[in-house]
Amino acid sequence: MELIWFAVFSLLLAGYFALEGFDLGVGLLLPVLGRSAATRDRMVAAMAPYVLANEVWLVAVAGTLFGVYPALEHEVLFGLYPVVVAMLLSWVVRDAGLWFRRRAGGARWRGFWDLMIALGSLGLSFGWGTALYGVVTGSWLSPPGLMLGVLVTLLFAFHGWTFLAWRSPGLAGVTRSGRALAISGGAAALPAAGVLLGSMPYLLDHSAPAATLGVLSVIALPFAPVVVAAQVWVWRTFRPGKDAVRIPSFF
Amino acid sequence: MEALELARLQFAVTGGLHFLFVVLTLGLAPLVAIMHTRQALAGGPLRERMTRFWGQIYVVNYALGIVTGLVMEFQFGLSWSGLSHYAGDVFGAPLAMETLVAFFLESTFLGLWIFGWGRLPKWAHVACIWLVTLTAYASAFFIMAANSFLQNPAGAVESGGRLRLVDFGALLTNKALVFSFPHVIGAGLFTGAMVLAGASAYQLRRRTSEVEFFSRSLRTGVVVAAIGIFLTVGFGYAQFSGVQEGKLSQAGLPFAVMVESGNLLMLLVLFVMLPMIRVLPRWRWTHPVLMVLTPVPFVLAIMGWLVREMGRQPWMIWGKLTVADAMTPGLTTSMITGSLVGFAAVLGLLAVVDYVLIARVVRRGPRDLDLGSVREPALTY
Repeated sequence: MELIWFAVFSLLLAGYFALEGFDLGVGLLLPVLGRSAATRDRMVAAMAPYVLANEVWLVAVAGTLFGVYPALEHEVLFGLYPVVVAMLLSWVVRDAGLWFRRRAGGARWRGFWDLMIALGSLGLSFGWGTALYGVVTGSWLSPPGLMLGVLVTLLFAFHGWTFLAWRSPGLAGVTRSGRALAISGGAAALPAAGVLLGSMPYLLDHSAPAATLGVLSVIALPFAPVVVAAQVWVWRTFRPGKDAVRIPSFF
Repeated sequence: MEALELARLQFAVTGGLHFLFVVLTLGLAPLVAIMHTRQALAGGPLRERMTRFWGQIYVVNYALGIVTGLVMEFQFGLSWSGLSHYAGDVFGAPLAMETLVAFFLESTFLGLWIFGWGRLPKWAHVACIWLVTLTAYASAFFIMAANSFLQNPAGAVESGGRLRLVDFGALLTNKALVFSFPHVIGAGLFTGAMVLAGASAYQLRRRTSEVEFFSRSLRTGVVVAAIGIFLTVGFGYAQFSGVQEGKLSQAGLPFAVMVESGNLLMLLVLFVMLPMIRVLPRWRWTHPVLMVLTPVPFVLAIMGWLVREMGRQPWMIWGKLTVADAMTPGLTTSMITGSLVGFAAVLGLLAVVDYVLIARVVRRGPRDLDLGSVREPALTY
């Protein structure tokens, strides 16, 4: 039972890195590739249909942390207090940028929120590197922690670029296959997967008691096929093609 | 202020902001789903524009519901780890269900609904908004189940200094839950309906050219407001029998405001607005009244939460764990001040921006809508 929930937790966290990683990567690339407002519109439109289905993986990670590893929640979240607060604020600002950028006219309005998307994506990507290092070592404010922040940011940017090249080749200047996207997703998930594997014995040892895991299994696991089907439906509906990136897009 | 007061203030601010947006989401989701279904059944440009117009208000409102909710969820670990340490094995189960199943599906289907316009087959698209509604209500149910556990810790026993889950069914049939959940759903419907009525009254007052559009919306608003307020007040009173001694008197002022205003509103909706439903769109003097009433359900919803949460003091879990003991050990005043300022400033500003954007949608009426749009409106540079 502990093993099943460790697998669920790991899948959710690594899945978050592999999926939301490209959304954050596209956000990071906005000021780099998106020199014109029209290009930025197309870049955001390329990722827009996936964002809601991707970011929710982290919401599920946090819920699973509370349900399956209540004893660890304190260590992980409180131990990294300033990092977690900064990451939350980055996430909030990134999301607000996406929802608000097209809600009013004016190039300056849209330009401002595009900057917020880029800064929020940067804060969240960099924060993930330092947070992962902090979880393992207990101290995040150190040269290796900051280096991991830079590494995760670069991995996400590369993943975002691969995603653009897959879904809308004109934006990245090259074309990449779905297989290349899967590989860059795997690369983006590597830091998270490494930490998960390393802390596996510790996590298994600190799982919630059998009664709680039993209830969670009985009521949550039957929905797993539905959740997977919904995610597959997103990927099928918005797959690349002649008319993949539509303007106007809601984001 | 002490760290404890600041941490409580932080939760009250983010929780209050969150619920302002959630209560409208809960009300508008089924209304938009019904509009979309009628569009799919009967077709016609009017029905399509109704779905898109009220749908756009629904999704613009949804944005703030998400971002405030994220901060809420993580605050449990940041400020209240004593709760997860003592009762995480019980309290964590409904929270995990909410995030792992209900909200996970809600967010996925909402993305499909928003971006599926013109891509999904008609009925698959309609199914998405119904699934969003269903999972939003499931989310509300699990959150209320978690909250009700704090109010009345059913289904758990203490052993070895921690609470253990012994009866999950008791968690879901908690006497603090069975009437409060429909009470909240009723309040959501009432809030959404009053927004329909108020926004329509605004447009009609301004002599809109969209007379049929807003007359229909106004009537829908009045009918649903009647259902909503009836449920809210009825299940509000039904809760009295199950509330522990002393809770209600402890929340004196908000309790009095909620009950008195709720009763008055019910009289107004059932015995004035509902009988006048045919003439309301034409009688222009009624429109400012409807506009003024629009924010009232939001205020009352916050009062409702104040009653529930103030009544629980000083307990985090009634009779088991105090709020002071639930606070994260080691949380300092400077930490909580920093995060409180950050969250309150950012979320507060975004909330203001969001309401301005919703007002903008209402003012412009059902033209040049972003939601479901296939044509780029002229950008004003």
